[in-house]
Amino acid sequence: MFVLLRELARLRREIALPVPVRRGSLALRHVDAGSCNGCEHELGAVANPYYDLQQFGLSIVASPRHADVLLVTGPVTTRMAGPLRTAYEAMPEPRLVAALGDCALGCDVLGSAEELAGPLESILPVDIRIPGCPPPPERIAAALLAALGPR
Amino acid sequence: MISVETIRPDEWRRTCELALEEGRFLGLYTVEGPGVRALFSAPGGVRALRCESAAPTIVDLAPGAGWDEREGHDLHGAAFAGHEPLRPLLAHPSELETWTVPVRGEDSYQVAVGPIHAGVIESGHFRFHVVGERILHLDVRLFYKHRGLERAAEGHAPALALPYVARACAACAVANSVAYAQACEAALGLRADAELARARTILLELERVYNHLHDIGAICAGVGFAAGNMLFASLKEQAQRLNLRIAGHRFLFGQVAVATGAFALHAVERDRLREELADLRGAAARGWRELRFNDSVQDRLAGIGSLSNADAQRLGTVGPAARASGVRRDVRTESPELAYAGFAAAAPHEPVGDIAARIELRAVELDVSLALLDDLLAHPLAGGGTIGGAVPADVGVGRVESPRGETVCAVELRGGAVARVHLRTGSYSNWPSVAATAAGQLLPDFPLINKSFELCYACADR
Repeated sequence: MFVLLRELARLRREIALPVPVRRGSLALRHVDAGSCNGCEHELGAVANPYYDLQQFGLSIVASPRHADVLLVTGPVTTRMAGPLRTAYEAMPEPRLVAALGDCALGCDVLGSAEELAGPLESILPVDIRIPGCPPPPERIAAALLAALGPR
Repeated sequence: MISVETIRPDEWRRTCELALEEGRFLGLYTVEGPGVRALFSAPGGVRALRCESAAPTIVDLAPGAGWDEREGHDLHGAAFAGHEPLRPLLAHPSELETWTVPVRGEDSYQVAVGPIHAGVIESGHFRFHVVGERILHLDVRLFYKHRGLERAAEGHAPALALPYVARACAACAVANSVAYAQACEAALGLRADAELARARTILLELERVYNHLHDIGAICAGVGFAAGNMLFASLKEQAQRLNLRIAGHRFLFGQVAVATGAFALHAVERDRLREELADLRGAAARGWRELRFNDSVQDRLAGIGSLSNADAQRLGTVGPAARASGVRRDVRTESPELAYAGFAAAAPHEPVGDIAARIELRAVELDVSLALLDDLLAHPLAGGGTIGGAVPADVGVGRVESPRGETVCAVELRGGAVARVHLRTGSYSNWPSVAATAAGQLLPDFPLINKSFELCYACADR
């Protein structure tokens, strides 16, 4: 246990994280609408010590009822279009929708047309666009921090 | 070597039975018509059986074919006489009784979870049949992420169809791409030269390294041990940053090509990579030692979610999950197209098949992979290519050990284009084993059991 904590403390010294100066917070709800799991890995990575988004007031919440932002990944398959709308409708106002990754943005989508209901823009109003295949964690972090608004 | 035989429907079961006596079931898929194809391992290669009309079921001979036959029915209307009831898999009818196993009795009830889960998790639906907190049965409904990638790949030239397979799953992109490339090359009468074999092996092991680091961290998160989770998440980040530097992509996308090399390393970069991988190996070993001897972590893992050796054999479980249950099987020991000479399958201290064994096995394999990478990087890497000379065929099969187990890719070519491609990943093989393991366990333990298999949904759904 001490070894782990010492290692983490050493890492923390080495990683130059920006000083959290912004005020406020955002609760994020993720919905995988048919991604290849790349965006999920990178969204998970923003919680690791290299990015540590939680200290900036950003957290992933378990229910859309608690969420300010709906983070959507994937090209939106026909089977996920329904659950996606249900999650959006469950969110309180004001709410934002973020398209995370090229598939959600409708770029270079691979698949059979009959299996896809997307792009996301045709189903929900998109407020935040985070391009990349998948977008690297620093880009996800920057886009979400910008969504916190000016200080 | 791949031997292809056309079998009449009335001889289908008998021939499959004989094939199972000398090899293992590797997958079954259907084509338009419907026609059926079954793949088996055979001494020195793969045996592909094809039936150009409806074939009877083989699910009683090879229980691992259960999902394959259900998929074939949904995709191409294949009937598989004798598979009763043939429940839908890709199709999602709303009536519960069409796709769940009926569970009745006093105090039994159902808990439905998903397709959207509470964390950053892929989409899929689990329907638990429980009494109190005890799981009696689990129906897994995946394919919410089905993008029709196999169908979309049809009609393209082999090299142009590669992205459909590669983007099936980010975390297994290298394994899936190599299996596809090998299948195409086998069909085209090509084979990888030693340099290409080494380049692909390096990529496969780099993929395994970041995946196994991720999986060990995920188990720490599952038991609420934040220090272990954060350390292994950091090590995964370091591994992915190495990938970015040497290949230009954190998930190594675009580093595998059909019939040619696509990845090379110059000497300076190779030396630096070797040093950094040695550091990573040390840090991972130190971190694992802390987890191995941390009672509050290990007590939560031991004896939970046990998959018996007999069940693993019967269900055709593959990869780390099978090896943790004492099935010493690893495609790397039989991969002449890759640089795994002398490789031996890893085993945990006690292959009892519980969560503890599955995690220990990954830690052991992680160390083996990093040692192997050090050997593989001992010489300059030019990229390599393929050698012709073998007889082209209209069917090719590639087999690769992905981080989750054996991934099999079959490609059928017609007129130089892909007529059918089928990807059967380690995750696809193992989802039924997750359901079988869950039966008899406590519902609150399921997230941890699921994490200990750490299967991809995207890989199965395609």
